[in-house]
Amino acid sequence: MNIVVAMKQIPDLQQVRIRNRQPVFEDVPYTLGNIDKNALEAGVALKEALDAKLIVVSAGNEELEDTIKEALAAGADEAYLVIDDSLDNIASDTSATLIAAAIKKIDDVGIILFGEGSGDNYSGQVASRVAEILELPEVGYAKEIELNGQSLRVTRSLEESEELVEVELPTVITVVSEINEARIPAVTQILKAGKKPKEVVSPHELEIAIGSVQVTTLSNLAPETDRKQIVVKSVDELVKALTTEGLIGR
Amino acid sequence: MDFGFTKEEALLQKMAREFAEKHIEPLAEKIDQENEVPKEILEGLAELELFGVPFPEKYGGADGGYAGYVLAVEQIARCSSGVGMIMSAHTLSVGAIGVFGTEDQKKKYMPPCCQGKQIASFAFTEPGTGSDPKQITSTAVKDGDSYILNGTKRFISNANFPGPIVIFARESESNEITAFIVDKFCEGYSISEPWKKMGMHGGPLLDVYLKDVRVPAENVLGQIGQGYPILQMGISFGKVGVSSCALGGMLAAYEEALKYAKEKTHRGAPIAKFQAIQLRIADLAMKYEASRWLTYRLGYLADNVKNPAVFAKEAALTKTVVCENSADVARISLDVHGSYGAMEDYKISRLYRDAIMGPQIEGVTDMQKMIISGVILKG
Ligand SMILES: Cc1cc2nc3c(=O)[nH]c(=O)nc-3n(C[C@H](O)[C@H](O)[C@H](O)COP(=O)(O)OP(=O)(O)OC[C@H]3O[C@@H](n4cnc5c(N)ncnc54)[C@H](O)[C@@H]3O)c2cc1C
Repeated sequence: MNIVVAMKQIPDLQQVRIRNRQPVFEDVPYTLGNIDKNALEAGVALKEALDAKLIVVSAGNEELEDTIKEALAAGADEAYLVIDDSLDNIASDTSATLIAAAIKKIDDVGIILFGEGSGDNYSGQVASRVAEILELPEVGYAKEIELNGQSLRVTRSLEESEELVEVELPTVITVVSEINEARIPAVTQILKAGKKPKEVVSPHELEIAIGSVQVTTLSNLAPETDRKQIVVKSVDELVKALTTEGLIGR
Repeated sequence: MDFGFTKEEALLQKMAREFAEKHIEPLAEKIDQENEVPKEILEGLAELELFGVPFPEKYGGADGGYAGYVLAVEQIARCSSGVGMIMSAHTLSVGAIGVFGTEDQKKKYMPPCCQGKQIASFAFTEPGTGSDPKQITSTAVKDGDSYILNGTKRFISNANFPGPIVIFARESESNEITAFIVDKFCEGYSISEPWKKMGMHGGPLLDVYLKDVRVPAENVLGQIGQGYPILQMGISFGKVGVSSCALGGMLAAYEEALKYAKEKTHRGAPIAKFQAIQLRIADLAMKYEASRWLTYRLGYLADNVKNPAVFAKEAALTKTVVCENSADVARISLDVHGSYGAMEDYKISRLYRDAIMGPQIEGVTDMQKMIISGVILKG
């Protein structure tokens, strides 16, 4: 069986500075989203249990060939990449179309893992769209995945509750960050990542035309955090102030 | 000329940083107070293969070169100089076995060291001499197929961990300095209580007592009487680690100053608004950038040694600039903190105690300058 993990290349958010409330992306290297790394880690655990192959799938610009080494170092066996410089800033529907087309090229896919949302836009749409295109069931917000014969038992983390569901393979699963702690790769895993098998295709080869951008970002501003400069003289006053602000005791 | 990192180098740096921030930084104060690095940290370093970064895979290493090693040690030492020093002294010793050892010695000693199952030491300093190894008084007397070692070694890093120790002693027949690989804790090997250092806590420093330690002749490292060049070359490689350690401490001190300058307010405005603080921030940046590139370059040079004397000069030069800058940066950062910097509650006070020690290790600054000018004037 093959397990697929879809991972998105995003700017390293720790290195993004904010100037005049605008994010500055200059000189910011690419990385993979944090929750995507949790999905990868979940994939590694399933791969070991199922003796399967773990394939990372991603679509992005030319930097992706380098960025994906991070996933190959952290446990993916192979990479299937859709690369084109027009894929720098695509809308979720295009991403989903490309990723679904890529997954169709891979045989015997049993489990397709996603992070619940990407680290940059966090639209949380791609997994559901891919499941729809591939006509597969989708289980969202997994905080625990357990093998149960030929099916999976998945604990879903919902806002007010947890839900335990059982799903037959093949299936799409999105994970939440609590599912695991993504591993830190060792030195040789990093150094050998670039030598793992990698297939690179263009959207054209997948017979997908990238239309003009349908989503235009009108404004992307960091929230303003003005300090309120409230001075309190006692714990009681602090509690009162926080309650007044609606921060506690809701 | 391209001063960028490859993706692999960037990932190696990021990996070490992530490990250090997650697993070392939260314990850094505790390490400082207790002068001991918790076992879990050493196990974590071993798991990530950080005890064998520059060495060939054939001998259990990660094949990441000294260029990769400097990036890793900088990030580890950024969170704890003591942990950085354990790696540095260990790698120095394993490196000497790697360069001068026989195939059998390399196969026996390098793999457990690279895997972090053993931690190595390198012992030349004695109560009577540090800067001048020609005055070494420990003795090695031939007895059949073995040598009997006697003497005292001072300030030996990692002497308390099981593993090999490269010991320099005067061989009686040739009357020349000779290097021996000894298994720590063999019969006749004992250690003092750890020295209470002013900084770099957690990096253990002990005296080693050799009382009729029997070492088989096959454990001579290099040739009889060849100890001096081994020592010189070993220490040159050691300076790669010491420079990286000092660089990591420097980065931490620089970051502390930046943070404090933006946070601490005076009449409602951050002290970073004062020109005096701004000038200091510039000084910190200049010293860090200059040191950083010298250190990374030294890593590259260590992977490509052509002429040992030239490498010795470059290593001495880098170690001196970086350790002196590191001490300066800690001092400037402490000044930015004012009196708060002198309080143990503030991280900079620990970083200062760590940094001030760099110039004293592996040859004091004066001796480095003798090496540098010696090579230059010889032409
Ligand atoms: C944290 C730490 C870790 C260490 N780890 C190890 C280790 O693992 N193994 C090991 O063997 N040692 C180790 N040492 C010891 C260290 O390398 C020596 O202390 C160092 O080489 C200096 O030797 P010394 O203290 O005997 O100084 P000395 O040689 O006594 O020098 C004292 C002063 O005299 C001056 N001086 C001496 N000779 C000359 C000269 N010829 N020309 C001009 N000036 C001179 C120098 O300027 C110096 O400032 C460690 C030390 C520290 C602090």
